[in-house]
Amino acid sequence: MFYHISLEHEILLHPRYFGPQLLDTVKQKLFTEVEGTCTGKYGFVIAVTRIESIGAGLIQPGQGFVVYPVKYTAVVFRPFKGEVLDAIVTQVNKVGMFAQIGPLSCFISHHSIPADMEFCPNVNPPCYKSKQEDNVIQEEDVIRLKIVGTRVDATGIFAIGTLMDDYLGLVTQ
Amino acid sequence: MADKAMSISVPCEKPIKLEKWKVKQGAFVSQGQILFLYSDSSGNDSQIKKYKAIRAGTIIAIKVKEGDVAQPGGCLADLEECRHPTVMKDMCAECGADLRAEERKKQDVAIVPMVHSVPELKVSEELALKLGREDADRLLKDRKLVLLVDLDQTLVHTTNDDIPPNLKGVLHFFLRGPGSNGRWCHTRLRPRTQEFLESASKNYELHVCTFGARQYAHAVTELLDPKKKYFSHRILSRDECFDARTKSANLKALFPCGDNMVCIIDDREDVWKHAANLIHVRPYSFFQTTGDINAPPPLNDEKSKMISGKNGSLLPQLPTLEAEPEKLETIENDIKKESVENNENTNNVAKNKNNDKVDVLNENPNEPEPKWLETSDGQIEIEDPDDYLIYLEDILLRIHRHFYDTYEKMGNKQIPDLKFIIPEVKSKVLANTSLVFSGLVPTHQKLETSRAYLVARSLGAEVTQDLTEKTTHLVAVRSGTAKVNASRRMGEGKAKVHVVTPEWLWACAERWERVDERLYPLQRGGQSSARRPPAHCTSPPPAPPVPTPALRKRTPSGRFMDTLNPLLSFSSDDIADMDREVEDIFNESDESSSDEEDKMGDDDDDEENLSENRLLALENTTNSQERLQDKDEDNSSDSETGTDRPKKRPRPSTPPSDDDIPPDDDDSSWNLMGAALEREFLAQD
Repeated sequence: MFYHISLEHEILLHPRYFGPQLLDTVKQKLFTEVEGTCTGKYGFVIAVTRIESIGAGLIQPGQGFVVYPVKYTAVVFRPFKGEVLDAIVTQVNKVGMFAQIGPLSCFISHHSIPADMEFCPNVNPPCYKSKQEDNVIQEEDVIRLKIVGTRVDATGIFAIGTLMDDYLGLVTQ
Repeated sequence: MADKAMSISVPCEKPIKLEKWKVKQGAFVSQGQILFLYSDSSGNDSQIKKYKAIRAGTIIAIKVKEGDVAQPGGCLADLEECRHPTVMKDMCAECGADLRAEERKKQDVAIVPMVHSVPELKVSEELALKLGREDADRLLKDRKLVLLVDLDQTLVHTTNDDIPPNLKGVLHFFLRGPGSNGRWCHTRLRPRTQEFLESASKNYELHVCTFGARQYAHAVTELLDPKKKYFSHRILSRDECFDARTKSANLKALFPCGDNMVCIIDDREDVWKHAANLIHVRPYSFFQTTGDINAPPPLNDEKSKMISGKNGSLLPQLPTLEAEPEKLETIENDIKKESVENNENTNNVAKNKNNDKVDVLNENPNEPEPKWLETSDGQIEIEDPDDYLIYLEDILLRIHRHFYDTYEKMGNKQIPDLKFIIPEVKSKVLANTSLVFSGLVPTHQKLETSRAYLVARSLGAEVTQDLTEKTTHLVAVRSGTAKVNASRRMGEGKAKVHVVTPEWLWACAERWERVDERLYPLQRGGQSSARRPPAHCTSPPPAPPVPTPALRKRTPSGRFMDTLNPLLSFSSDDIADMDREVEDIFNESDESSSDEEDKMGDDDDDEENLSENRLLALENTTNSQERLQDKDEDNSSDSETGTDRPKKRPRPSTPPSDDDIPPDDDDSSWNLMGAALEREFLAQD
């Protein structure tokens, strides 16, 4: 799920940047340090939309570095159990398939793929195919899945998905 | 199974009326899913409540029908809990349960990582067996086998050195390392690699199995197979290896039903623990100064006596140089090498030493050396005479045919084992031949323990000590021996005996075919250089006490004394200090070391005794086994570095044998070792 929330971040700045462009540097540094990162609590920071305030810098004693507390709003993506999402299949193997939902990796076990779909390793690329061959899922396809579990680490989130529910599976445009 | 079943009982203290089941029998429910709707049956509260599953699992039986009233404590349904047969990052991939929180179930957790490139994804043994069986059935149906392909020095050769940017046929790619620094890799595909993959993929399911890092393995596979039609995602790299030194540990996980249908091609056999289903290929070497950049760390656990260096695949070739130090390479070879060196010197401004590459003098005249020619458009065209993949293709075809012939003979019921099929195919190569060796095996060594004998036997040839009626081939190192003369006389009789050089045998072992004897005739008065088999001509592992004189431990510095003990590389002052200390200790203690010194009694040179004293004093832990092996090291390091340096004293003479072969393992190794140490000390000062 996407959220637009306000967050805080501390920017540590080397004294060499002290000058007329100082605040620009702080902003630039915020973008590079924050966008694309992942925290367990808020999920993936997709984009910083607005910098609300840059607080007073605090010079670190003995170092000369300065710390700016920055408040900003950002779009974050936080996957939840039970959420239904569209994903792109990245790898298909005999145990299941891997899919990518933007920055989030997801695994769907063979058991969670409808039982009428079989793994076909001989075709290139390998795929899951239903008996009537009308339903084929292979690499690069878009599928709709439901998240049944998430593993939230300090540096990333990994999800387990399923296709065993109504309206899940291959998305046909 | 039964232990995992739990019953769903009435959720409150009062009797309830079951309004509606939301699930069917046999359905899989996840945690928190609504199972049924119910209401209080006493009637005064008609509000309908939901019942949610507290655990994930399968509903195996529904015991109460819709509309019925159940009493408190009564069983409504049986739920079989999820057994978590597939686990990804400690999460059950079927019910989504976090298994880190459920420590108590540890014994049931899936343990087999079945997918090459995703070690976090594990399945239970039960499921692994099922998937493995499906794989095997599918392979049999398609009449295919599994082929594990090594990358480095088998299909490609990669260097991190700076090389001329305009080499034709060399591909360049950049690997991002940890942090910001990365490295450039330059990869040359072995000639005919594409054709080889194309033809092998018809009969084999190809898997990459390499000791390169994951990033490297995927990058090289991308070069080999950009459309992913040969390897798909079947890439096993160092990051997924269970054991940093051997690849065989992963076989059980990848092929849970056994490796009956697995064939391996690799230039290193020690990493597969000398498996019978391994085809030991000739190492491909293109960049002359680089060995295998992804070689595993040296093996020196007690289990494997096959101690080999970082570049063990190349090292064994060096003794061939030593065996015939007088033999000069042809002028043509020299010119070629010079031009190579020039090429490199001009371009190698700064050699990158941080990478774990090993510089090796790869001067084996037997190796086909690439020719470097500069073309008019500035590209350096390289003529690469390596044609090994043609033979390998043929070997694989024969193995495949033999496997399925055997499979059909066995009535399509039993799966033959490639661990027996492959040695069988190999033993047909020289079937119905009978060899006699002349000058190939040192006289003090038993014929049955020599490598040449084992190689010949593994090819199915008979080997006899002396010429007999049945003898078909005489493998002689040089002409003029009694056996050669005898065979020439016999040749006038009915059966002609082929007199060939050892290269013929090594070529047969390399190509797995009976090479035309006329290509390797023994010239009158000529001498062959290849008394020892090249490293890739291996004997089958079942041969019990395989003596492997060619495989030894080697340190990066390549110096003999470092292999004994790094402590030995001290300056002479340090050594002198230590000597004084040691002598003090010796004077104080009793004469415990005297009998050790007696072993050395046949040395008349004082200086040499001294150096051996040092050796004994500093190197108590090294067992004599290792020292014997190190003796060979002495020879080879000599040949590399000792040519232009004055020799202090002649090498202690070896007992002369009529074949004039330096003995491999006798007591004089002590003398040799002492002499080698001494020379290194002198050279260092």
